[in-house]
Amino acid sequence: MQHTSTLPSRPRRLPSFVPWLLISPSIILLVALIAFPLLFALKNSFYFWNLQMSPTPMGFIGWGNYEMALSGSFFFGALYNTLLITVVGTAIEFILGLAIALLLVRKLSGMNVTRALLIMPTTIAPIVVGFLFRYMYDPGGGLIPWLLTSLGIPLPAEGLLGSGKTALWAVLFADIWQWTPFFAIVLYAGLLSIPADIIEAARIDRASPWAMLMKIKIPLIKKTAMIVIMLRFMQLFNTFDLVLVLTKGGPGASTRTLGYSLYQYGLVDFNIGLASAMTWLMVIVVNAIIGLLVFFAFKELD
Amino acid sequence: MSAGNTKLGTAVLYALMLLLLIIFIGPILWFVLLAIRPADTFFTMPPVLAFTPVWDSVDYAFGDPGNNLPQLFNSLVVAAGAVLLNLPFSLPAAYALSRFRIKGRKHLMMWYLGLLMAPPVAFLIPYSILASAVGLKGSYFSMILILQTLTIPFSIWLLRSFIDEVPVEIEEAARVDGATTPVIIWRIVLPLILPGVIVTSMFAFVFSWNNAAFPLVLSNRETATLPVGTLRYFGTAGVTWGFIAAAAVAAMIPPMLIFLVLDRYVVRGLTFGSVKG
Repeated sequence: MQHTSTLPSRPRRLPSFVPWLLISPSIILLVALIAFPLLFALKNSFYFWNLQMSPTPMGFIGWGNYEMALSGSFFFGALYNTLLITVVGTAIEFILGLAIALLLVRKLSGMNVTRALLIMPTTIAPIVVGFLFRYMYDPGGGLIPWLLTSLGIPLPAEGLLGSGKTALWAVLFADIWQWTPFFAIVLYAGLLSIPADIIEAARIDRASPWAMLMKIKIPLIKKTAMIVIMLRFMQLFNTFDLVLVLTKGGPGASTRTLGYSLYQYGLVDFNIGLASAMTWLMVIVVNAIIGLLVFFAFKELD
Repeated sequence: MSAGNTKLGTAVLYALMLLLLIIFIGPILWFVLLAIRPADTFFTMPPVLAFTPVWDSVDYAFGDPGNNLPQLFNSLVVAAGAVLLNLPFSLPAAYALSRFRIKGRKHLMMWYLGLLMAPPVAFLIPYSILASAVGLKGSYFSMILILQTLTIPFSIWLLRSFIDEVPVEIEEAARVDGATTPVIIWRIVLPLILPGVIVTSMFAFVFSWNNAAFPLVLSNRETATLPVGTLRYFGTAGVTWGFIAAAAVAAMIPPMLIFLVLDRYVVRGLTFGSVKG
């Protein structure tokens, strides 16, 4: 995280446009790739446009799409689901990941192999994790219902993904399975970077393991922890592939996240106007969150 | 910290290690088994572990008729294309952001990071309609181009962390000797940062390979990537689990191998270079 060591201390003799000449192609391409769709969506958000009825926007309706999105549960229902899995998921993944990281730092033979294998769920495409869990959740002979029933845990008759009470948690469980190793591996790297003499000094002072964790280890890996928490928070907030494969937002709207709602309204129902208004609402929320994250967590990064 | 010192403590730690592997690797193996199990044991509980492997599903997907072979090829083309197109944009930018004190450098890095955290799905509908409008829908190029919104910011972050580690004194010595900037970059900087470029490219390949959102709306029947092609099996009458597993396992393998090869860089890659690991 320290980027200062190799920076030139003296002013360079190069003309000042050279760095910008090197940087600007990336900026121009990225701005073009983002600005077009966003402006396109902004315009369409003020039109009634169902793609099944017409290949072009069908009529200016002012704030109509936004009013529709903000009334009922279109936006806020999805926002609630999204925030729920994002906050709960990030918290659980962090705590489990930290616990595993504390196990990984024990110097046991075989630990390196375990660590290298442990990251495998994180390498898989989320959509493929969706396939895997849809198989394992199958109410007609999936591994997970069988395990839970064997343990005496009652399950909804419609299946874990088929019941409005359990579906969102089942989706979240798949995400936790995939991303807990990510926390574990990164926090493990953070723990390794703690100087051994600090741990040794605490041990000589007879600090309890709990005090050692809360007062020494966690404060020293705070920066690393903040980075992973923020990255994961945003990825979870954008969850879409997993929902697409596991539940398609159902049953009812019980697993409809913001990301999946956009897909549903735009690319399944073809209501481009409503989906565009939702897009802009999501863009505003995401920008607000990223702004906060950058302000609190990443400001010391560079 | 005493648990590791006794025999009992060590046994407990090994038991925990085994439990971790069962929880996190078990489901993957379970899915691999699905690809080679006889169809009548797909949903047999308690699980049937002793069976004679049948290769029908794998054969259907990748042998004869090789239903998923074109998709495997498409995935390779799109991911490799996304990596190759990204380098001429990200490499110079990463170099400049590492070596020069530019006004607004920090804000620019945050802007790139913001792009990585943006919801891809917000762009899907416009990209889908715009790609149709300009006649690019279904082309490899449309997917490769749109993937740049991920690969360029990612590569700039990760590459910069590698370039930061190459001492600037080497370049300055060459400059004193009269070398021009292009010569310095080509003959001196590039060889020094080549390992970083390779590592970055391999991670960028994985992220492109695993991206399903863009191909979902930009590909057509001929250019569908492996995950998108696998998704199509759900549309046909009855879910054909053996085929799904065969195709999905094939989609898993390249990222897994790359992560095993890049083991010591995994933390760095997953955190865009911000945690060295």
